[in-house]
This record gives sequence, structure tokens and C-alpha cells, in this order.
Amino acid sequence: MTQLGFYFNQTRCIGCHTCAVACKDWHDHQEATINWMQINTIEKGVFPHLFLAFIAVPCYHCEDPSCMAVCPADAISKRAADGIVIVDPDKCLGREGCEKTPCLTACRSSSPQFGLAPNAKMQKCDFCLDRLEEGKQPICVEACPMFALEIDSMENLQQKYGKQQAAEGFRYSKKIRPAALFTPKPEVFS
Amino acid sequence: MNSETTGTSEEQGKVVRTTSAFDCGGRCPLRLKVINGEIVNIEGDDAPEPEQLRACLRCRALRKYVHHPDRLLYPLRRVGEKGKGEFERISWDEALDTIVEKLTHVKETYGNESIFMALSGGYLGALHGAGGLVKLMSLFGGYSTHYGNVSSEGAVWAVLTQYGSVMVGHSREDLMNSKLIILWGWDPARMISGTNTMYHLIKAKENGAKVICIDPRFNDSGSLLADQWIPVRPGTDAAMMVAMANVMIKENLQDQPFLDKYTVGFDKFKDYVMGDEDGVEKTPAWAAEISGVPEQVIIDLAREYAAADPGTLMDCQGPARSATGEQYIRCAMTLCAMTGNIGKAGGGAGGGLMGIPVGHMFRSSGIPPVKNPAEAGGKSVRGTLDLNLRLQKRMHTNKMFDAILKGKAGGYPADIKLAWFVANNYLNQLGNTNKNAEALKSLDFMIISELFMTPTARYADIILPVTSIAEKNDLTRPWPSGPYYTAINKAIEPLGECKSDWEIACALAEKLGVEDFNPYTESEWLKMFVELNPETGPQIKDNDKFREEGIHRVDLPEPIIAFKKEIEDPENNPFSTPSGKIEIFSQRLSDSDNPLTPPIPKYMSAKEDHTDPLTKTYPLQLLTPHPRNRIHSEMYKVDWLKETHPHTAWINPKDAAARGIKNNDEVYVFNGRGKLIIPAFVTEKIVNGVVAIFEGAWYDPDENGVCRGGCVNVLTLDEHSGGGASVLKTALVEVEPAREGE
Repeated sequence: MTQLGFYFNQTRCIGCHTCAVACKDWHDHQEATINWMQINTIEKGVFPHLFLAFIAVPCYHCEDPSCMAVCPADAISKRAADGIVIVDPDKCLGREGCEKTPCLTACRSSSPQFGLAPNAKMQKCDFCLDRLEEGKQPICVEACPMFALEIDSMENLQQKYGKQQAAEGFRYSKKIRPAALFTPKPEVFS
Repeated sequence: MNSETTGTSEEQGKVVRTTSAFDCGGRCPLRLKVINGEIVNIEGDDAPEPEQLRACLRCRALRKYVHHPDRLLYPLRRVGEKGKGEFERISWDEALDTIVEKLTHVKETYGNESIFMALSGGYLGALHGAGGLVKLMSLFGGYSTHYGNVSSEGAVWAVLTQYGSVMVGHSREDLMNSKLIILWGWDPARMISGTNTMYHLIKAKENGAKVICIDPRFNDSGSLLADQWIPVRPGTDAAMMVAMANVMIKENLQDQPFLDKYTVGFDKFKDYVMGDEDGVEKTPAWAAEISGVPEQVIIDLAREYAAADPGTLMDCQGPARSATGEQYIRCAMTLCAMTGNIGKAGGGAGGGLMGIPVGHMFRSSGIPPVKNPAEAGGKSVRGTLDLNLRLQKRMHTNKMFDAILKGKAGGYPADIKLAWFVANNYLNQLGNTNKNAEALKSLDFMIISELFMTPTARYADIILPVTSIAEKNDLTRPWPSGPYYTAINKAIEPLGECKSDWEIACALAEKLGVEDFNPYTESEWLKMFVELNPETGPQIKDNDKFREEGIHRVDLPEPIIAFKKEIEDPENNPFSTPSGKIEIFSQRLSDSDNPLTPPIPKYMSAKEDHTDPLTKTYPLQLLTPHPRNRIHSEMYKVDWLKETHPHTAWINPKDAAARGIKNNDEVYVFNGRGKLIIPAFVTEKIVNGVVAIFEGAWYDPDENGVCRGGCVNVLTLDEHSGGGASVLKTALVEVEPAREGE
């Protein structure tokens, strides 16, 4: 099985949210609570010696997804062809229908999300499946003004960018094995 | 399925290639997917790298602006009190008839000079902007208007003084040739100084360039790029630069052959720096006291810049938007000359504007103007550095509301009775907003052409609804930096009864009985603009292809470098100054004898800087940087953008602790001019003694006069510098916790 992965060059990210806005536009997300792409900020140091970094958090489409393991309705699955983790809205019990919505706590990245509609179904980043099927990169990748993102098979990404699996603001987990590679920003203070 | 081949039926939709015309330095190719008259999603440029030009978050949210539920769709007449925002729908006929009646009344009763046209860059297209309307008003007998670009006047004045040219930039790929890049008050991650500028900067850093960020804030660009952050007290950049010159002179680091060959007046500047002029040597210790930057940091920076071969000092216009702003730009250009970096690959001439002469906005075509009869006669102001001469015929932009209030009795050239605001939100975006509101209340009649019910629009008598860029065809350019030309293509029909500013002018011309005002169709005008423009005429051979693609890229065989020919062959290419050289000393300024614009660049203190006794009452300096998630006040209403970066006041932990303020507490920021309420962002990323609030949030005063919207200009000054900069970054404030409802 090929596992598609997410590459993030942290040394290039300015935290501008262009990827996140492009994501909302492409997927037509009207609700403020829905952010398939999230940007977290890491600030360290004391004036004037500071370190600042950002981390782009889509769904990392883990090889052993914790959300999938805990779903009581088997609504979350991993595509055999490319390892993309998808949710079946017909199977999902919904925000009120699901007793504990365990996917919300299982994922460290807050990738599973529910909208505001009554019994909204879980939704999350799908690597822009519709675009991948057309041979295009996901919209976040196409949008990034700093050319800091890429989606490819993990093998190809490793060949191009090495095997760094952690970055500032992101710890790798051997248990769930997030399909992500990074060029982390070295912690150098101004 | 490729979106280009989806066909053109309404259900399947179409893809329209276009760009923006906001007051933004970028022009980014966009592909708008349109179905049934609605933009449903947006893709970016699909050119191969490295030509690909990538849009930022603002244009990614464009459809939420175009289709915003608050768009004004019909002409409106005010029915409530001025400022309350109560209006009723009227027809275009009624709106235009009322305007004709009022224009005629003012003309016949007070004269044409009492008609005031307030213009700005909210829409930067060649055809559909305000150009046609001001032409019509000239044909109507004339109008009063204002002088001074709010963004860049300090820098424009400084470069015309020193170089005699505004084309002071390098094409961005030349950054790859730099060994040292100094970002002085420059934050292109936030303020788009040309599409892809940040990308070129990170490539330069990856190529080994050292980057130093000098700013009171650890700004977005600096936090990504900077090897070193030098926090400086606002308004003291020039002192730091003068001290850097002192270090270079003392250690004999300056490029003396360059100075001898290409400049005039270095000796006089040297006299000032070394203290021979006024008895005060401008040492690093002297500058440390003023700027808060340690002496050794200034010494090291001077040595490092002098040694960099080559190095570029990117002095942005931001710090020049201040009480003595042009001095900072002049000092920067003088350092560029002292280090011999002018006209050199990887170097830079400074000067703030960063523009290149290919695809520059200043050289765009437009409706051919006619002379404004209200400004006829008197001395020519062409090319003058004497601001007072310019202000004999026009009000300074940042003084327009004072001029509305005081008129001729206040020394202004006219008594304004009627004002028409086009493509701006000046109430909000010029200094001293509370006073500006009073001025708008005092007008006999006010018209505004707008897309939204902005704070300015709320005071209008008539509001004319304007189309967005998605609703018309036009040509546009980035502010400073091609090398490319862009076309705006109509994606949807005008919403409601919206018209472009040009269409409004044409409709009004008909009412006024002006014949042959619009002899061409839209496509004929646009074709003519391309063909007759000295740049695009020879470049763009196939207008249809250009329009379809929305962009024409220019291949540069090598990077554009400002003043390359002046440096390589000075005999045949003198600088466009009276001396033909770089004027570190300006005889023109010496002749004008204005203490605010000395003939050599100097550090000068000013009202409401850190030396003002007013600091006892208002101890904090206020900064008003560009916002990241809107273009000034444009796009303010778009939630997708608002959500990305909450509107806050940046304050250092020391200043916050001294006032009992914790992160995210609501605080009042206030001075004698106004008061606003805003959440505090307590952060190490700002020097203590300074508060930063990003400009462009909309004015929303409550019954106690507290601005609930966080419009920072309730705190700024309605004044200008000696060279004409709008003083929007020199103001003192105090901050206190807002304990409302306790």
C-alpha cells in the first residue's frame, strides 16, 4: 500500500493562514468552528532573544489512526490505495447521536471536527481527494505563498526531504505513526 | 477533469482568469470558478515555477468579499442623523438628479473650489476607477482636492530629493545576490510589497544571506527570516543611522571613491555627524540614549553593513509615516551611498519605495485627464520639494478634515461645502478619526461611492453602490514591482444596481449634458490603454490572449537594478537631480530654508515622540502597522479573514504588568483625541514603551465616545511632516484595564 503523506517545511512558514483560508474556500466551510487546516504558533524566549515558529496541522492521516480505533460506528476508515483516512457520514452517529464522540479526544491534532448543525456528522481533512483524483495537489499545497507544503507518497517525500518526523510543536508517535515529514525550524533565538 | 475544459454552460460553470485591484502591492493571478452567477471557489496561478505568483489569504477569501451579505446594492439616501447609518433606497435617476442639483447649487453659490473630491487607492484599475469622475468635474468647472499619498509621501519626497527618481528598487530575484539583507521597518509577510517578495527573501536566506530585522516589533517577516532582531524606539531610526555613519567615518569604512564620484554634499553630512556643525558628535552612545539600541549593537551593525559585499538596506515606508519620516529615508539612502551599494547587484539604493520600472503602477494608463480649472494660475508645482508651494492649491491629505472644518479662515485654499469620497474610507484611515467625524457632520452635502456601509459612508447624504472587481473588465498593476501586467476579467454581472466609478461618471455626464464624454466601449478603451502605453504597447502583441490569460509576464534577461546605468556610465547618465548626482546635500532644500527639511539628512525629534513632556500623561508610543488579514480597511467585513488574526493591542509584559494587564484582558487605549477598547496581546515581540494596534479596523463609537471597533486612528494626529508624510506613527497614548460592568 502506498501511504500518502504531508510534508511541511517549517523554516518557510510565516503563519499567514493562506492555506487555511484556501481550504475553507475550496471545501466551502461556512462555520467558524470548522478548520480542516489549523495553524499553531510556538513562541519562546525573552525579549529581545526570541524564537517563533508555526506548525500547519491538517489531518496527518496516521498509519494507525487513533480516531479510527475509537469510533463506535466504524465510520472512519483508511483507504487501501493511498492510506487517506476518511469518514463515512452515513455511518457516523453525529455529535449528539454519538455518546462520547471519542474521536475528538483520541486525536492529538483536533482534526476530527463537528459543525454547528443539529447532529452534525464528523468531518476532517481528506487531502482534497477530489483534487487528487484530478491529478492536482491539495488546495493548501497549491495556495502556500512560501511553497512550504507538499503531498506525495511517504517514500517519495523521504527521498526528497529525509526522514525527520518531528518539528517544533509536533511530536511523532510510534503508536499511531502520523504520515508527515518535516523540515523543522532549528531553535535559534534572535 | 480539468477545470479549464468544463465548458461554458451556466450549470457547469466557467473559470475566469483575473486578479485584484485592492490597494495592495501584489497582483496575483486568480482563477475564479463561477456557477450561475456566483463565484464558488478560487484557484491560484497555474504557471510553472519559478514564474508562479501566489496569492495571500486575502484574495483566497475574495468571494466572501464579492458576495458579502452587507454589499450595498442600490443607491441610498440618508434619512437618519449623520453617522447613524440610516438610509432608504432610491433610484439611480433620483440619486444623480440630486447630485446634479447640489453640484450646481454649490458651483453657483460658492464657486467650483467648494466642491471637494476625496480620492484614494481603494480601487486601482485603469478604466473603472475615479479618473473619469475627476475629469468630469474638471469639465464641470473644477474642484478642490488634496495632496500627499498617505502611504508613501515621506519616501517619495526623500527619493526625489536625493535621486530625482522614484524607481529605486531591484527586481526581487536580485535578493539572491545579497550577502546581508537589513529589513528596516519592513514586514512583507504582512504588507505585500509585490507578489512573492517573501518567497524571494526566504530563497535569499536559504542561499546564505544574513538577515537583520530592525523594528519595534519582532514582525512576521523578521520572525521567519531574522538572524538578529534589533528593537528600536519608534521615530529614532534616523538617530541610529546617523550613528552608523559616525562609526563608518571614524573607522574609515565608507566607500570614499563612490562618494566622491557619485554624490554631492557628503562633507556637509560628515560635519553634522562628527559634531563640527552643532557641537554634538553623533556617536553610538548618543544614538543609544535616543533609540534604546545598545551602543555596541549600533557599532557592530555599522561594521557589518560596511563590510557586506554586497548588502541591501531595505528601509520600508512604514517608519517614514511619521513626524520626521523623510529624514529616516534620507539617512538610509546616505548609508547606501556610503557603503557603495547603489547600482550594484545584491546591493540596494534604499529609498523605501522598492519599485522597478517594469509593470509599475505609476506608469499605468488611464482616462486622459484635463486640467482642473480650479487649480489654474499661480506658480508651477511640478517637481518641487517645497510642500508649502503645493499646499497653496491643495489641502494636505491628512489635513482634509481640518480643511473641511476651517476652510480659508484656517489658511486652506477653499471653503468646502460639498465633498465626494471615491475609493476610500478616509474617516477611518486618516489621523484623528473623532475630529474627522465632526468635520463630516459639518458638510452641506456629502456623496460617497462605496461597496459597503463603511464608517465614512455612514455620514453621506447619498451613497452610490459600486461594483467589485469581479463585476467588470479592467487593467491593473502591482504597486511597485512587476515584471508583469495584469488584466481584470468580468466574472459575474454587476450585483444589484451597482455601477463602476467610471460608469457613474458616464451617467452623471449625461445628466450634466456633457457630450462625447465616453466615445468608446469598455473593450475599446482597454485595448487602447494596452496599445498606447509605452510599456505594454511594444510588449503585448496579442491583446485577446492577454485578456484571456489575465497576465503578461516579462522575461528579464537579468535582474533590474536601480541606477545601474547612472553608476556604470555616469557621464552619459546623470541622476535626475539638479547636480546630476546623488544629493546628500540638496541646494534646493537649502534655498527653501525650511527648518523641517534641512538640506542634509538629520535626526530630529518631534511632537509626541518619546522626548515630548506629554509622556508624563501618555507614556506609551503608538504604532499603527498594516493589518495581515485585510487591505487597510478593505475586506474588514470578511469573517474568514477576521477569524485568522484577532484584532489586539500588542504590549510588552513589563508595560502590561505595570498596569495590571494580563494577556487577552480588555483594555482602554487612549489619549486626548480618543479612546478605544481592545483585547491586549501581551507579548515579548514588542519593545517596552510601545503599543501596536493594526490599522483598518472600523470606527464604531459608543455613547461615551469609546470606539468599540478598535479603529486606531481615533488616537493618531491629523498632521504632516515637513516633506508631506502623514503622521500616523507618531502619537502618545496610555493603556489601562477596561473594567466595564464591574
